[in-house]
Amino acid sequence: MKKLLTSILSIMLAVLVAFGMTACGGGDDSTDADGNTIVKIMFHVNKTSTEGQAYLKRINAFNAAYKDEKIKAQGIFKARTAGASGYETELLNNQIEGTLADIITFDAPNTAAYAKSGLLYEISSLIPTSEQEKFFSLNKYDGKLFGLPIQESSAGFFYNKKMFAQVGINVSGYTAENPWTFEQFKNVCAQLKNAGKTAVDMRIDATKDETAPYLLYPFIYAAGGSFTDSTGYTATGYYNSASTERGFQFIKDLITEGYTSYEIGATDFFTGKVGMYLSSGWTIPDLDNKYKDFFANRDDWGLLPYPKDVAAASATGSWSYAITNNHHSNKEPIVKLLNWMTSAESSKAITDATGMIPARRDVQNDYAPGSPEYTLLKQLELSGRERPVTVAYPTFSTTFNQVITGLHSYSVATLLSTATNTLQLEMNRLQNLA
Amino acid sequence: MLRTTLIILAIFVALFVGFVIYDLKTAKRRRETYRTKSSITAYLMLLPAVILAFLFILLPILYSLGYAFTDYYLLKPNDINFIWFDNFKNFFEELKTKGTLYNAIKNTLTFVVGVVPLQIGLGLLLSLFVNRPGIGSKIFKVCFFAPVVISLSVTSFLWLQILAAGENGLLNSLLGVFGFPPHDWLRDPKTAMPCIIVLSAWQGCGYQMLIFLSGLSNIRKELYEAASLDGANIWRKFWLVTWPGLRSTFVYIIITVFIGACRILTQPMLMTGYQDHTVTLSYYMYQQGYTFRWVGQSSAVALIMTIFIGGITLIQRRIFREKK
Repeated sequence: MKKLLTSILSIMLAVLVAFGMTACGGGDDSTDADGNTIVKIMFHVNKTSTEGQAYLKRINAFNAAYKDEKIKAQGIFKARTAGASGYETELLNNQIEGTLADIITFDAPNTAAYAKSGLLYEISSLIPTSEQEKFFSLNKYDGKLFGLPIQESSAGFFYNKKMFAQVGINVSGYTAENPWTFEQFKNVCAQLKNAGKTAVDMRIDATKDETAPYLLYPFIYAAGGSFTDSTGYTATGYYNSASTERGFQFIKDLITEGYTSYEIGATDFFTGKVGMYLSSGWTIPDLDNKYKDFFANRDDWGLLPYPKDVAAASATGSWSYAITNNHHSNKEPIVKLLNWMTSAESSKAITDATGMIPARRDVQNDYAPGSPEYTLLKQLELSGRERPVTVAYPTFSTTFNQVITGLHSYSVATLLSTATNTLQLEMNRLQNLA
Repeated sequence: MLRTTLIILAIFVALFVGFVIYDLKTAKRRRETYRTKSSITAYLMLLPAVILAFLFILLPILYSLGYAFTDYYLLKPNDINFIWFDNFKNFFEELKTKGTLYNAIKNTLTFVVGVVPLQIGLGLLLSLFVNRPGIGSKIFKVCFFAPVVISLSVTSFLWLQILAAGENGLLNSLLGVFGFPPHDWLRDPKTAMPCIIVLSAWQGCGYQMLIFLSGLSNIRKELYEAASLDGANIWRKFWLVTWPGLRSTFVYIIITVFIGACRILTQPMLMTGYQDHTVTLSYYMYQQGYTFRWVGQSSAVALIMTIFIGGITLIQRRIFREKK
C-alpha cells in the first residue's frame, strides 16, 4: 500500500512541478536561430481576409527591406470572431502569460484605458513631430502619444438619387465644405415623409455594439455639446449640458416626427424603401457591387455630409497600431516596423484593400471632387471630431446606447441625467484606481 | 496568480492525499483488507474526476471568492491589491443612485416572480395533458420538449423575429389582422420584460413537464381508483391525490427553476442589449467584468448573488419541508 501511495504522491508532485515549469518558462524569444531580431505584430483580422493579406504583403516587404539589418517581422492574426472584446481578451491573456506581441492593433477609443493601464508604450519621443503632423489624428492620452492609426474612417448620409429626384429634392449644394444645417436636414426629411417615404435610417436600432455611438456622436458636437472634460474624468456638466441635450433632442425629434424609426430593416435603404442611410465608408463597396437592381451605378446614389448646427462635426476613428510594454527592452527594431507599417506606402496599400480613408495626409489619392470618397476625406479634414478620450470609454459607449434606445420612451433630460450619473461614478472609480 | 494557483493546488493535493491515507489507515486498523484494496482502486479511479473538478469548478469558485475582495481590473492583471469590502461598499453606493444596478435587481426580481410560477404552471399543465395513453400524447411530448433542446441563443433570435417592431414583426402582423397598430415590444419598458418572461417560460416548460411526468408515474393508480369509488371529481382527484404525490417533485422543480431564473442572462443580452428596462443582475455582473473590466467588482456581485440565491433556496427548503 505504501508503495502505491508513494506512487500517487510522486505523480501528483510531478504534475505540480511540470505545471510550474511550464508556467515559469518563457525567456527571451526576440531572436531566431539565424540571429534575426524577431518583431511580432498582432492584427485583429483573419490572415486570409483582404485586409489580412494586405498586412501580410507589407510584412513580407519589410522583411525583404530589412534583411541585411537582420530584423524580421512576424504577423500574428487573431480575427475578432467574438467581437472586439474577444480580441481584447486575447490581448490580456497574452499580457498575463508574458507573450504580448511587440506591436498590436487596437480600436482607437481604447487608447486612454490601454495607455493608463500600462499596456501601451509611450512613443512621443520616438516619432518625430514632422511625421506625427502627417496623420489626420493621433492616439494620444494625457498629452502623450501612444499609437498611430492604420486607417481613418468617416461617415455620412448615403441617399437614393432616384427617390430624391422623384420627390423633387435638390441637395447638390450640400457638400463637406458647405454642410447643410439641422433645419435643412429636417426639411428634406419632411419632404420625403410627405411623399410617403421613410426619410432616413439613423441606425438608432444599432445599440448592441459600437455602431450607434460611432455614427451618432457627431450630432452632439454639432449642437455644441460634449461628453466629458479634457481630462476624461468629468462627465457632470458636459454629458448632461443643455447643448448635449439639444443634440440628442434633435435625434429624438426625428423619431417623434416620423422621419426615422427603430423598425427600419437592415436592407431597407438598399432595396429602395428609405431615402437616406447613415453609415460609414464601408457601405460604398456594398452599393457599388451588391444591390445592382436598385443602384445600378453611382448615378443612382450619393453621399451627403453630417448636418451642422452651431458647429460642423463628423465621425472619425478606426483601428491603430501601438507598441506594447512587453519584456523586450530594445524598441529600435520595433519602431522601425511601426514606421514601416504606418508609412505612406503601407497606408495606401492597406486602404486600397479595405476601402477606408488613408490615415495620412500625404497619401496620394485620385478621388474626384463630389465623389463619396472625396466627401468623406474632405469631411474628415474639415470637421472630423474624435470620440471622447476617456478611460471609461466602455461605460460611455454603453450609456450612449442606453440613451438612444431610451429616446423611445423617456425624455432626453431624464436619460442624460441617468447616463451622466453612471459615467461619472465609473470615472471616479477609475480615477481612484492606482 | 500562478503562484497562488500552485499554492491552492498544493493545499488541495495535500488534503486529498491526507484524506486517502486516513481512510486507508482506518480500514487497515479495522483489518478490512478487502476494503483497503477496493478503496485504493476507487481513489485512483476518482483521481481524474477530482483533478478536473478542482481545475474547472473549485478553482474558479475560490478565485472568484478571492477577487471579490480585490481591485482586480482586467487591464492590470499583474497589479491586484486587497481592498477588503470596498467592492461591496461600491455595490451599495451604486444601488443608492437607482441606476442600472437598481434596475438590474428590480428586473431580476420581476423575472423570477413572473417566470417561476408561469414555467412551473405550464410544465404541470402540459404533464397532466400528455400523461394519458394514446399516440397523440407521444407526439405532444416531443413537441413540448423540442424548445428545451434548442439553444437559448437560437430561441432568442427566433423570438426576436416574432417580436420585431413594425409591421414586419410576426406578432405585429398577426395583431394587424385584428386592427391593432404595430408595437415595439422589446423597446417599450412596459412590455419588454413580460415578453422575455413568456419566452423563457415557453422555452423551459418542456423540461419541467418531463420532471413532472416522472413524478406522476410514481403515483399509484389504485389511489385514483379509490378516489373514483369515493365519488371524487377530477379537481378533487388532482388536489387530494396528484398534488400530494408530486410534492417532492414540485420542491425540486421550484428550487431549480428559481436558481435558473435568478441567473438569466442570454435572453436580455441577445434580445435587447444592455438596457435599463431589461438588464438583469447576471448581465450587470457580466458587463462589469468583461466590458467595464472590473473583475473584482463583478466577483463581489457574484458573491452577493450566491448568498442571496443560497439564502432563498434554504428558505424554500424550510417552507416545503415534509411535516412528519
